[in-house]
Amino acid sequence: MTTGIIIIGVVAVLLISIIGMYNSLIRKRNEVDNAFGGMDVQLKKRYDLIPNLVATVKQYANHEKSLLEKITELRSKATSGKLSNDEKVALDNQISESFKGIMVAVENYPDLKASDNFINLQRTMNEVESQISAARRTYNAVITDYNNSIQVFPKNIIAGFMHLKRKEVFVIAEVERQNVNVNNLFNN
Amino acid sequence: MRSTEQLRNLYHTELKDQLAGMEKERIRIKRLKIATAIFGFILFLILQNIYKPGIAITIGIIGVIIILAAVVYIFMRYTTYRNQFKQEVVSKIIKLINPEYQYDANRHIDMHEFNESNLFSTKAERCQGDDYVEGKIESTDFKFSELNPTYKVETREDGKTTTEWHSIYRGLFFHADFNKHIQGTTFVLPDKADRLLGIKRKNLKRDKENYELVNLENPEFEKIYDVYGSSQVEARYILTPAIMEAMVTIAKKYGRNMYFSFKGERLYCAVLYNKPLFEPRIKKSGVNYADVEEMFHLFGLIETIIHEMNLNTRIWTKE
Repeated sequence: MTTGIIIIGVVAVLLISIIGMYNSLIRKRNEVDNAFGGMDVQLKKRYDLIPNLVATVKQYANHEKSLLEKITELRSKATSGKLSNDEKVALDNQISESFKGIMVAVENYPDLKASDNFINLQRTMNEVESQISAARRTYNAVITDYNNSIQVFPKNIIAGFMHLKRKEVFVIAEVERQNVNVNNLFNN
Repeated sequence: MRSTEQLRNLYHTELKDQLAGMEKERIRIKRLKIATAIFGFILFLILQNIYKPGIAITIGIIGVIIILAAVVYIFMRYTTYRNQFKQEVVSKIIKLINPEYQYDANRHIDMHEFNESNLFSTKAERCQGDDYVEGKIESTDFKFSELNPTYKVETREDGKTTTEWHSIYRGLFFHADFNKHIQGTTFVLPDKADRLLGIKRKNLKRDKENYELVNLENPEFEKIYDVYGSSQVEARYILTPAIMEAMVTIAKKYGRNMYFSFKGERLYCAVLYNKPLFEPRIKKSGVNYADVEEMFHLFGLIETIIHEMNLNTRIWTKE
């Protein structure tokens, strides 16, 4: 009789802990999606700035047509709506580089640089850049937490059953520190 | 930032003589205090040995009146001495750092501004402090003062209510205009060593709001501070890798007893020093360079924070 109770007790404890682990993994997976969603919102804000940027630069710097066309093209791709998460981030890295290229070109047009329109635009761009950076860092932190959860014992067993796979953290493009090769932007 | 070279210069040309002049006063006050104490003690001994109540009471009353008068007199002299110290010494140190700063020795930051910061779990109900400095460096305005916020604790026993005032903290308080728009609140608090199981508290509760622990990438920063915020993303938006480096530098300069909060449009900072600051000495000689240097270092908190954290870089949407 007592052995029966003990067995039931052990099974109950096991069941409860399995349910607990399962729930925790679900939560972590949702956190990952949530974090990417947050990043996505910021990326979209960046895409939305592009038409304004192109219009402003065009007014003063018509010679930079190729740069502007390139970035408009990137925007179309980004807003086409059929990209995987990895593709979205890769595209955004390209857009970052494109932005930097335009900023370099703008140095040659002091009127443009001094215009209120452009100054406000620059502030907004910096703001969005800062927000994207924060969103990416949050995403990486959440991913790391998720990866840890699915790999430690004994959760890894449950994770195996749930087919949860390890996700890659996104390397934040150190665009600020790269020397943007403006010629590449023409050739791509 | 003014160099120690210039401070040394100020000390030798003006402050040393001023302090030396005040030395006499300091010794006089010290002697008066000792004399009063001795007088009180002798009075006590005399009273012990008189058995006629009439004479005892008379002597007692006269003695007490003399002591009270002495205490009042000492207090008045000390106040003059202290005011002189603030006007002639502390004020000059501030002027050396930046002549544009406004200094008021007897004012402190408003209590509601302290409570606004939400830096501690209790709200202040009363505030003491002094050495108020107000100013602006380029686009960043700031306020600074020594502060000792307190709160009331009432205990009822057998129908009697006793009120005690407890200190929330004692030290410096500073706040400045932050260079980004902030929606929620982010706290950067000293790292708590109360990790029983190697686990940090996951949440911080303030004012019925819940703040999540935020784990950041800079290991040196994480050793010094614990971060709690209303949003994981906003905490990282504020605490960029550059800002984290800056805060590590600040902690190295001012120690690990620093509390920060980012709220509204401002950055708030409290530094714990559980002793009075910017006060003239009574017990030991007041003429020494180390004291002057310490005050200079404490006021330096203003420029250190504003420059290290690049609060004047206004390239985002906030101007």
